[in-house]
Amino acid sequence: MKNKNYSKEHVRFLQRRKRNLAIVWIMRIGVLALLLGLWELVTALNWVDPFIMSSPSRIANTLADLSSDGSLYYHIGVTLWETLAGFAIAVVLGFAIALALWWSDTLRRVLEPYIVVLNALPKIALGPLIIIWFGTGNEAIVFMTVLVGLIVAIMHVLSAFIATDANKMLLLRSMGAGKLQILWKLVIPSSYPAVISMLKVNVGMAWIGSIMGEYIVSRAGLGYLIVYGGQVFKLDLVMSATFVLCLLAAGMYALVVLLEKVLVKNTDS
Amino acid sequence: MENILTFRNVTHIYHTVRGELVAAQDLSFTVGRGEFVAIIGPSGCGKTTLLSLAAGLLKPSEGTVESNGTFGYMLQKDELFPWRTIEKNIFLPLEVRHKRTPTEKARAIALAEKYGLADFLKSYPAQLSGGMRQRAALIRTLATDPDILLLDEPFSALDYQTRLNVCEDVATIIRSEKKTALLITHDISEAISLADRVLVLTARPARVAHSHTLDFGDIPPLKRREQPLFSVWFERLWGELNA
Repeated sequence: MKNKNYSKEHVRFLQRRKRNLAIVWIMRIGVLALLLGLWELVTALNWVDPFIMSSPSRIANTLADLSSDGSLYYHIGVTLWETLAGFAIAVVLGFAIALALWWSDTLRRVLEPYIVVLNALPKIALGPLIIIWFGTGNEAIVFMTVLVGLIVAIMHVLSAFIATDANKMLLLRSMGAGKLQILWKLVIPSSYPAVISMLKVNVGMAWIGSIMGEYIVSRAGLGYLIVYGGQVFKLDLVMSATFVLCLLAAGMYALVVLLEKVLVKNTDS
Repeated sequence: MENILTFRNVTHIYHTVRGELVAAQDLSFTVGRGEFVAIIGPSGCGKTTLLSLAAGLLKPSEGTVESNGTFGYMLQKDELFPWRTIEKNIFLPLEVRHKRTPTEKARAIALAEKYGLADFLKSYPAQLSGGMRQRAALIRTLATDPDILLLDEPFSALDYQTRLNVCEDVATIIRSEKKTALLITHDISEAISLADRVLVLTARPARVAHSHTLDFGDIPPLKRREQPLFSVWFERLWGELNA
């Protein structure tokens, strides 16, 4: 619907929209710059102790040091691997279990209380058990990540499966469709938006899982750097690792949003 | 005239934890090949149950439902799948029945083109107006060339103007494709303007209270509404519904 012959009023409207968007972006960046500037200022002037508060310049230096000996990338690699592995397993397994629970009403009713309890349980309570069962390697952390994300994934996808439009199911049944056809042609495609929102939630869950896992047991990774930095009072290290974590989480979320654009196109109506 | 659908002393009971509900009792009627039958009844009298029984989606508790042909089901809303193009929506029943052969596809496409959907085949449902969507739903129903069309208040979700137009559309298409149709509606004027025969059901449990053959012949819906006979039938059916 490209039409260059807009009325003057419409052109003004478009300009106003554009200006608004620009203002929002300028202010977003302004807020960041202001906070960083204030932080740098109060620490540089020693109004607060930079040893406790760290500062943007100290974070930049720390990151540069970590980066020059390559250890930064090593720690990022470890955490990223754990997070992605845990995320993938939780999502795929969660989807599969949700399928099984949709397929069998009886199975769903049998397992419902267990799922509810597992959902409410703070997974960190299982920390000691996980260490004993899986040792102190990456496996323990991946397992923790799966544990944190799995139930959320199941509940999200299952509720979408169950909410499938009853009339569309009736329509398919009237065409002679069996349960498998209803699943492939209707239930799964109509759950795409819910699957995407599940992925978004699970990005957060995966980072919670992996960092929590590294807090409990680890010898490497960003969570390890944070805990280690806290123990030896190197707040620069804590802040730097947290900063990198922010970037990674945002990047992963952006990837899911990109996937959403590809997958969910014409579902409006 | 050969009977294509026969309900013989059909009783249907719904069971829930709270109790049971007799939706239809001792219900008997027939639909002849090529006939357009409308069923009207007080709301909640189990009209939709009746269509599900006809299509074989429900088994009657007692009695028999015999049919002599294949069904196409059309619902209140178009129920087009929003992630499929109109073309892919129309192919849906072919896919379900594993009949997606080039011949069948070509037949479905020809049908869509014949009834004015040629320009919309590659569009998504959200890009079509309500009337066009309902027309696409009808073509989807016709794609497998069913013998009987089961229409469950197919116009009730449309606004009044669109409704009259789509009603006219559907009547034309069904008559020119020489299909048998069983229409369920709560709208008396819709029943009179479309049907060859009208069945009036009682309140639940549903039974056939009256059966009327209308004498309009091949007059299309909008023209029927202008006939003096129209209001005569309206008053009569109105009286019977409220008896």
